[in-house]
Formats: sequence, structure tokens, C-alpha cells
Amino acid sequence: MDFSLIAQMVVSGAFMGLVYALIAYGFQLTYATSKSINFGQGELVMVSAFFSLTLTDWGLPYWLMVPGGLLFGAAMGLVVERAAVRLALEQKSEGWILLSIILGLLFFSTAENIWGRDDRPFPTPIPADAFKFLGVDITPLEVSVAVGVLSIMGLIELFKRKTLLGKAFEAVSADRDAAELMGISATRTVMLSYGLSGLVAAVAGILVSPITTVGPTMASALILKAFSVAVVAGLDSGFGVVLVGIFLGALESLASFYLGSGWREAPGLVLLIMALAIRPTGIFGQAAIRKV
Amino acid sequence: MKGNWKRFFLVRGAEVAGLALLAAVPLAVTNPFALGLLTLLAIYGILLIGLDVTVGYLGQVNLGHAAFLGIGAYTAGLTVTTLGGGMPIALVLAPALCFILGGLLALPALRLEGPQFALATLSFSALATTIINEWESLTQGAQGLQVPRPPIFGVALDAPDFYWLCLALLALVWMTMRNLLASRWGRAFEALRDSPIATDAMGVGTYRHKVIAFALGSSLGGLAGGLYAFNFQYLQPQSFTYELMVILLLGVVLGGRKSLWGAFVGAAFIVLLPNLLSNRLLFQIFSAIGLTAAVFAAGRGLAKKTTQPFQALAPVVAMGLLVGGSLLVANTEDWRKAIFALMLFSVVVGLPEGIMGFAAQLLTRLFRIAPPSLPAPASLESVLPAWPATGEPLLELKHLKRHFGGVHAVDGISLTVRAGHVHGLIGPNGSGKSTAVNVISGLYAPSGGEVLLHGKALPEGSLFKVAGHGVARTFQNLQLFGELSAIDNVMVALKDVFRVPLPLILLGLADAEEQRARAAALALLDLVGLRDKARARAKDLTYGAQRFLEIARALARKPELLILDEPAAGLAHPDAAELVKIIRRVHDLGVTIILIEHHMDVVSELCDVVTVLDGGKIIAEGPPDTVKRNPKVIEAYLGAVVEEEKAA
Repeated sequence: MDFSLIAQMVVSGAFMGLVYALIAYGFQLTYATSKSINFGQGELVMVSAFFSLTLTDWGLPYWLMVPGGLLFGAAMGLVVERAAVRLALEQKSEGWILLSIILGLLFFSTAENIWGRDDRPFPTPIPADAFKFLGVDITPLEVSVAVGVLSIMGLIELFKRKTLLGKAFEAVSADRDAAELMGISATRTVMLSYGLSGLVAAVAGILVSPITTVGPTMASALILKAFSVAVVAGLDSGFGVVLVGIFLGALESLASFYLGSGWREAPGLVLLIMALAIRPTGIFGQAAIRKV
Repeated sequence: MKGNWKRFFLVRGAEVAGLALLAAVPLAVTNPFALGLLTLLAIYGILLIGLDVTVGYLGQVNLGHAAFLGIGAYTAGLTVTTLGGGMPIALVLAPALCFILGGLLALPALRLEGPQFALATLSFSALATTIINEWESLTQGAQGLQVPRPPIFGVALDAPDFYWLCLALLALVWMTMRNLLASRWGRAFEALRDSPIATDAMGVGTYRHKVIAFALGSSLGGLAGGLYAFNFQYLQPQSFTYELMVILLLGVVLGGRKSLWGAFVGAAFIVLLPNLLSNRLLFQIFSAIGLTAAVFAAGRGLAKKTTQPFQALAPVVAMGLLVGGSLLVANTEDWRKAIFALMLFSVVVGLPEGIMGFAAQLLTRLFRIAPPSLPAPASLESVLPAWPATGEPLLELKHLKRHFGGVHAVDGISLTVRAGHVHGLIGPNGSGKSTAVNVISGLYAPSGGEVLLHGKALPEGSLFKVAGHGVARTFQNLQLFGELSAIDNVMVALKDVFRVPLPLILLGLADAEEQRARAAALALLDLVGLRDKARARAKDLTYGAQRFLEIARALARKPELLILDEPAAGLAHPDAAELVKIIRRVHDLGVTIILIEHHMDVVSELCDVVTVLDGGKIIAEGPPDTVKRNPKVIEAYLGAVVEEEKAA
């Protein structure tokens, strides 16, 4: 086996893995404040990408389309919070799992009917011509994914640490009841986290679409891997998702080459089940103490 | 007794009448389309009863059931095509394989709760579809698998015959599951849903029950899959995907969780759904009815203030979208998924009990069906064994330590609890009392030191194992099984009564045992003054009653050592007085008690010995009156007394 071919696949896979890591990071944001995640996050990525594509079709330049797409994603995140999550959290039930799946299905069907079932190319000003780096072909598009993913995660972490609103976010994550007693509205903070999570989903959609094209089925393809990354790393692992994302992306790229493209999702799924069996809190997560 | 007979006739009568009606249909109707729908109804009925075990009774979101249908279908199909087996073998192998796979998946997945469990089942189902799709040499992959319908014992099955086979299996599944879910197993499943910690502490193995529940539900999925294969005689991997899963969940939730009839109604709905979607007028009528129902329910709920605005209005909006869509959209088939989503959304938010949950209440009121009458309580002496109050050491802690990171919550305590004593454990908040009993009862493993019962080491770090050694406890933050009735709460924990093995329970041969258990549970409820509340759901009881119910439930373990973790916390005065009486009665039976308490009057009234903790260490021990005057104790509770103040 040619070593450079393996290296090539590992590197391309790793760049895709960063997108999974970003979607997984979106799970972390909402898990921190409310111990809930949006099971329809993949659909959020997809509709945001489609919406951004429509903005481009309307003639908006790329750099104006991006903020438009992000705002749309954030707004959809808020819709999910209001329609699927808030009631269940108030009732302390796990109804949000089912409700967020339902909402994802609604998004999916709507996208299918508005934008069609076919995959469509996503225009970008960033060139796709590869350059050689240490013998491996890398495209500027892939570099843009890495830069985009890491900078948005960095910005949100900065926001959480440096701003008052961000500190409220951290406070609710640490102890919801105590934060409420300090006058922080937990409901609003959960809303904020879902808005941010939707925004992150939109970033992921805009970054990945030029590489994979946009289509309704991208939702399920992305979400399973993002789940794997989130669970294997741990739902409170912070930047741990980046490492796991890179690893899983590379692994999946190799599996798809050696076993056939139909098997590309298998390693992630097996890892997910194994992680849940062996270490449910994830590699980088911390075990919580059971209190009675 | 008359009420019992009425109940029996109405409930069983409805089942028998329904079955007879369904069985008679092929004699009158020869339309193959109608017969096909009925066959499917029977198959989906089995499937949804299986799904209801995890979704309804265990209360977990299970996204793997469609995959088990697929695995069952392919197992049956391959048994016939590749292995050359007959239909009976196929219909045994399919559920058997799903039982094993379900059990294997459950082993790791069921330690998990909520989202993690949903994720594990989701990955399993994605993995199963991948394998069915990609293992082309076995399953023919996307091409699909042709399955013949072989004759059974030389008799070829035509459409009505096959329908009767499916119906017979549905009836069999119905009966066995009814027997199982009404037994201690069904109660344990529900207990798990409401409080896994308490289930373990009551000596009911959470793990075993969860794995069996999930494996059983999955095996029913496999059985339905086998029938599915012989019904359609052609299998494709795409049939068992996520979309089907959502439809199945829709069926269970819409029909009504924790109900066999609910599963049946849900199955009927699923079977009719494609026809509903393809006929525009029918769909418009149906969605209009849905909207009317939602508006009516919302109006009533808002006027009576029983529902929140969101809960009332969201279904109206969703159904409104459905009606609007049915008028505007060119082809309803294209919007199939959105339609499922809107319907499921309305049901989950607006009608969480499902159609049968609602209908059951209505029918019970309409026909005035009384709940089955309770037996006379057993005598307390026969339920609770008397322990000799010898005063010898029963429980010994030796240099017990428990650290959380840098926090030394319990920092080397040694004490002896003597048989027949009420041993008080007091100390300011954060002094380590609760941590100490959590270590004793097995919730936490100790960081160091030993816990001895009768001089022998107790198991460490397992509530379940410690519960098996005659140690029972209550919880500072109540851990009742909220959805279960008071008597069921006690029956879950009841020890030494249930002996009938699972196969006999499935056959419905556990009635005598159930009656004995009810009598014993009533005796314990009587002891804490809750006999007349036996039927009330635990979460509907008053706070004081809930505290007492926890004590009754712990006593159902027939414990030698009972640990009461702040039983008087938050109790009003009359309840606290009642509590003292209850504890004294329990004490008179010879049960040794460890009592954690802040109310000094309760402590002084009841305790033989009091140990005072502060900062994870013992600062005083002795009779209550001596301890109360101990300057160290006063200092721990009230802070140091400054010298000048003393002089003044």
C-alpha cells in the first residue's frame, strides 16, 4: 500500500472530521445549559445551507450571504428551543428527544419540497485547486474549513469567558438553580445556547457544502458522525471534540476506501456504541457524582 | 366482589369480542385489499406492543425498533431461502436472534439514560441497516430478497389462513404480555423508569430487568419482522429506516403508552396512514377533525386553566398547518414526512396520554368500573420478622473514608451500631452524615476503611448488593416511583413473597402470589397510616404521606437495619409527631435504625445513642442528653462562644 495515498486520505478525512467536531460542539453548547441536545441538528445544518444557497441565488455576494445564513441558523435554533425543548424541560421530562426529532423531520420534509431532492453545488469564492504540502494535496477550501471551524469555536469560547452574558452562560451550566438565585434567567440562557447552537450549525453547513454539495440527505449523513464525535469525546469535553473529530474523520475516510463507501459510517457507529458501553462520559468528559 | 366480576366481564369481554370480530372478518369479506390491511394490523400490533415495553414501561426513547423488525424479517427470510427451514423454525429464530441482539445492545446501553440511550439505539439501527444493505452475498443488498411462504406442516397458507396465523400470534402476545406487565416484572420496569437508584436500593436489580425488558421488546419486533417477511414475500433494506421508526413512535404515542389497546389503536392508525395520505378528501376531513379536537381541547384547557398556553396552542397551530397544507399542497404524498411530524407533534404536546389513555378514563367513568378490590391486610407480625434486640454490635464502621477529589466528606469515622438500638447521626450541614449512609448503603464505594455487618464486610459500591444483606434505606430527597400507586411502590420492594418463575407468570399463574403480596403491602401501608391511600399514585400524595410511604417501602425489604435519611425534613408538626410514632413502632419490632435527623426533639425522643459528626469526623458520641450539653457539639452547631460573652 502506497503510504502517500494513506496520508492523503487521512488528511482529507481529518478536514471533514473538523466539520463533525463543529456540529458536535453545537451539541455541547446546549447540553451545558440544559442537559438536552437537538436530535434534528443535522436538518438545521441542511436548511441553513439551503437558505444560504437561496441568498446566493438572489445575487447576494458570498460575504453578505454568510451573515444572512448564520442569522437564519440562529433563528431556527431558537425555534427548536421554543417548540421542542422548553416545555419538556419545564416538565423535567425527556420529551425533547422525541420533539426535536419531530421538528427535524418537519425541516427535512419542508426542505425537500422547497429546494428539491437533488444535491446541488454550493458556490464559493475560495478556490478548490490543490497545492502540495509535505507531499499531500490540500485545497484552500479545506483550509478554509479548518480556519472557519477553529475560529468560530474560539470566538464562542472567548465570548463565554470574557463577556457578562457569556459568564451567565457558564453560571447556568455550572449550577442552574444557583444561577437563577443570582438573578440570571435560566430560560433565556438556554435560549441563548440554542441560538448559538443553530448559528454553529449554519457555519458548519456553509463550510461543508462547497465540498459535499447541498441536499436533504446531508442531514442524516452528518448527524450520525457528529453524534459519534460528541459521545466519544464526551458531551462536556470542550475542545476534546476537535481531536476526536479529526480522528473519526480520518478513520471514516480509510474505512470507506478499504471496505467500500457503504461502510463509511460503520466505524463511527461502532465507536459510539463502544464509548457508551465503556465510558459513557466520553474520553474527555468527567463523571458526575450521583446525589440523592 | 360484584365490582370485580363486572370489571372482569367488561375488560376481558371487550378483548374476546374484539378478537372474535377480527377472526370472523375473512368469512364475510373476501376483498384481498381489506384482508391485507387486517394482516398488517395484526403484525404491527405485535410490533407496537414490543415497542411499548421500552417506550411506555421503561420510559426510554428507543430508536432501534424498526431495525429489529428488519433483522427479524431478514432472519426469517434467510431461514427459509438459505437455510431451507420451514416457517415455524423461521418464526422461532427471528424473535430468538432479536432477543439476543437486543440483550447485547441493552447490556451497555441501559446503563445510560435519556439522550445517550436514544443515541445508542439510533447508532445500532444505522449499523444494522448498513450491514443489511452492504452484506450483499447474504442479503442481496439493495436488490431485495424474495421470500416464499412455505406451507406449515404440509398445509399451504392462503391469505385468510395467514391472517389467522398472525391474529393468533397477536392474541398470544397480548395475553402473555398482559400477564407479564401486571406482574412484579411490569412493576419493576416502571419503577426503573421513575427512580433507578431507589429500584437498586430496594433490591430489585435494575440491570437485569432493563436488559430483559429491552430484549423482550426487541424479540417481539423480531417476531413481527418474521411475519412481515412472509406477508410481503419481498424484503428491501430501505423499508426499515429512520422514517419507519418515526411512524412506529407515532403509533405508540398516539395510541397511548403503557396500554395493549393503545398499541392496537396505534397499529390501526399506521396501517390506515398510507390510504389516508393518498386520498385527498379523506385527509382533509381527517385533519379538520384533528383541528377541531385541538381547538376544543385548547379552549377547555385554557378556560379551566389545566393546560399552559403553549401546551394548548401548539397543537392548534400544528393542526392548523395540516389543514392549511391539505388545501394548498398539490400532492400530499410529497409532504408525507411533514404530515407525520405535525401529527406526532400535536399528539406529544397536546395528548401525551394518547387516545387510549384518554378513552380508558372516559370508559371507566362511563361504565363505573371500580378498580379491583383489595384483600384484607396481613398481620404485621407475619410480614415483618421480629429481630432479637440483643444489643450486640450489628453494624461497625472502621476508619471509614470517602473523598470527593480534595473534599474529605467522610474522614475516618469509626462507630458501632448495636442490634435493637435507634442510633442517631447528627451534625451540621455538610458534616458527612448523608455521605456516610450513602457509603454504607452502597451508593458510593468507600475511599478507605471498612463497613462490617455482623462482623462481615458488606459489599462495596452497590446499592443492589447491600440491599440483599438486609439493609434498607429511605432517601433525603424522595425517590419514590411517582407513577406507581402507593401499594405498588411497596410491592416493588417486597421481599420473600415472589417465587413464581417467569414462564408461569407469562401463563397468568401468579394470581395467588399477587394477592398475598397485596395483603402484605397493605399491612405495611397500615403501619404508616396510608392504608386508605393504597390506590393513589405516589406523586399525588401529600409531602408527609410520601415520606411515610418511603418508610413503608423500605420496610417491605424486611430489613434488619433500617437507615432513615432525614425523615422529618420539611414535615409539619402533626406529621413529625406521627413520624415519631411510626419509628417507635418499627423499633418495637426489633429493627435496628440509623436515624439522620436535624430535629433535636425527634432525636432525643427516639435515640438510644447519638453520634455527632462535623467536618467528616466524629466529635461526640453518647446518650442524647449528654451529647446535647457537649461544648464541642454546641460549638459545631452555633459557632464558638467568645470568652468575653461567657464572662458577661
